[in-house]
Amino acid sequence: LQSGRKETVLDLAKFVDKGVQVKLTGGGQVTGTLKVYDQLLNLVLDGAVESVRDHDDPLKTSDQTRVHGLIVCRGTAVMLVSPTDGTEEIANPFVQPEAVKEQHYCLDKF
Amino acid sequence: MASNNLSQLLPSELIDRCIGSKIRVIMKGDKELVGVLKGFDVYVNMVLEDVTEFEITAEGSRVTKLDQILLNGNNIAILVPGGAPEDVE
Repeated sequence: LQSGRKETVLDLAKFVDKGVQVKLTGGGQVTGTLKVYDQLLNLVLDGAVESVRDHDDPLKTSDQTRVHGLIVCRGTAVMLVSPTDGTEEIANPFVQPEAVKEQHYCLDKF
Repeated sequence: MASNNLSQLLPSELIDRCIGSKIRVIMKGDKELVGVLKGFDVYVNMVLEDVTEFEITAEGSRVTKLDQILLNGNNIAILVPGGAPEDVE
C-alpha cells in the first residue's frame, strides 16, 4: 500500500532546534541547528559548520571545517538528514585484523 | 509576519531578505560564488551582481566577473547570507 499523501517519511518538526547532520548530493556535508524547513526539504541551519573535502580525494572529508553561521540548504541538494544526538564515530568495522583467515559465508536453508 | 529573528524565517523568506546584500552560493561541486543578490525565482535561479567565482579544489583560484549573471539553480547546494569569506581551520 502506498500513501497518496505528499508528505515526507520523516517529520522534521522533531529536529527543530536540535543538531542535525545534512549530507548533500555532490559529497558536501554540513552540521548545524535546524531552525526552519519546508515541504521541499529546503532547510535553514544556524551555526552551520561545513566539512571540507580532501583536495586530492573528493570522496574523503578532511579534518578542515568552515563555519558559515546561518545558511539555507537547498532541498534539491539534500540527500540525508540525521540527528547529531545519538550519532557517534566508531572504529571501522570493515577492516579485517591480520589474524583472521579467509571466512566462508553460508546461506542458511530456510 | 515573523518576528525579526532571521533564523525563524522560511528558507525562501530568508533568501528574499538577502536581496540587495552580499550572498555566498556554494554549488554541489567545488564551485562557489560571492555576489550581490538582485533576485531569484521559484527554482532559486539567481541573478547576482559583482560576482567573484571560487574553485575550492585549487585552493581558491578566483575568477572575478562583473555586471550581472544568471546562475542556474540546478546545482546550488548552500546559500550563505553575508557571503564573507571564512577561514579554513
